[in-house]
Amino acid sequence: MTTKELIENLNLKPLSKFDHREIKGVFVSDMLSDVMAGAKSGDIWVTVQTHKSVIPAANLVDVSAVIITSNKQVPQDTIELASKHSIALLWTELPTFEFVGKLYALGLMTT
Amino acid sequence: MKIKNIKDILDAEVIVGDDKLDIDVKHIYASDLMSDVLAFGEPNSILLTGLASQQAIISAHMAEFDGVVLIRGKKTKDGSEKFARDKQIVLLSTQLDMYDACVRIGLADNKQIILNSEKLAFPVKNNIILSHEFSVDGNDFTNAGMASTEVKAVLKKIGLDPVLIRRVAISTYESEMNVVMHAKRGTVKLSVTPKFIQVIIEDVGKGIPDIKMAMQEGYTTATEEMRAMGFGSGMGLPNIKKNSDELDLSSEVGKGTCLRLKFFI
Repeated sequence: MTTKELIENLNLKPLSKFDHREIKGVFVSDMLSDVMAGAKSGDIWVTVQTHKSVIPAANLVDVSAVIITSNKQVPQDTIELASKHSIALLWTELPTFEFVGKLYALGLMTT
Repeated sequence: MKIKNIKDILDAEVIVGDDKLDIDVKHIYASDLMSDVLAFGEPNSILLTGLASQQAIISAHMAEFDGVVLIRGKKTKDGSEKFARDKQIVLLSTQLDMYDACVRIGLADNKQIILNSEKLAFPVKNNIILSHEFSVDGNDFTNAGMASTEVKAVLKKIGLDPVLIRRVAISTYESEMNVVMHAKRGTVKLSVTPKFIQVIIEDVGKGIPDIKMAMQEGYTTATEEMRAMGFGSGMGLPNIKKNSDELDLSSEVGKGTCLRLKFFI
């Protein structure tokens, strides 16, 4: 599945500028070190964290997208930094639990 | 090693500086080329030389040496003695030739031999393909992760293996976050050689009282505020260890921490 298909399927709101890419799996965490340690290249990262340091972490781990759940307000500087590094920053009003349920239904798994 | 020891080892005669034999010298530099002395000599050294003219004493003085040993029983020429006295340089004379003098000092103080071989780091230095330095400010969460992002970009430009780059990037990010969370300020130094990538993260800050504890998964001293941002789950150092090939952590409480990481290419 690609980020384009995911956005269409789950009605996600893209916040940043980026190129679409293949999604390999899913990683859910709000602890950055967990992401650094556990997320794989190509995973989408599902989180409620919205501060700017999320973007370097996403870039360094090479996730295919960051999905901000739970109707969170995302700071402008986070969005700008994401665009600068072509990180897909996607948004949903759904809480993490419900959103992850939908991902599961789409057949996405932890890699 | 004290000058007195050197005098005894070399069975040398004191020409100038009888009262300064208790000075502790750090290095021995043996050369007859004064431009080499000026280029490579380090402060607190003793010069072993066959050049008995005033130029030897002047060079020793310029290079901030503590003394000069004349070899093969050479006698001082022109104003050497007076200059040595004026500039407080100890002046000795030995009957030994350069080789024997060096060997005797080396055998008497093995440490000295190691010190000299460290200087062979010169050719290694030339092997560095590239080096970069980035500064990191403590408590600056807005720019946290920027140095690591730069490091990744630099390595990507060289065209290194993405898996290796990812390991370096993750380790650097965790280290950088440690500086942001716990220190006043720090630097991230990246150097790349044909065989390995080295990242040195050095900070000025409170230091780590118990390194063994800090290396344990889950151990954290982060504040609630940091944890609310998703940092400080006590996984930083274990993550770094997992991703690097060599890790050397040293710290002094109240001064700061230095983390040296190596990744073999």
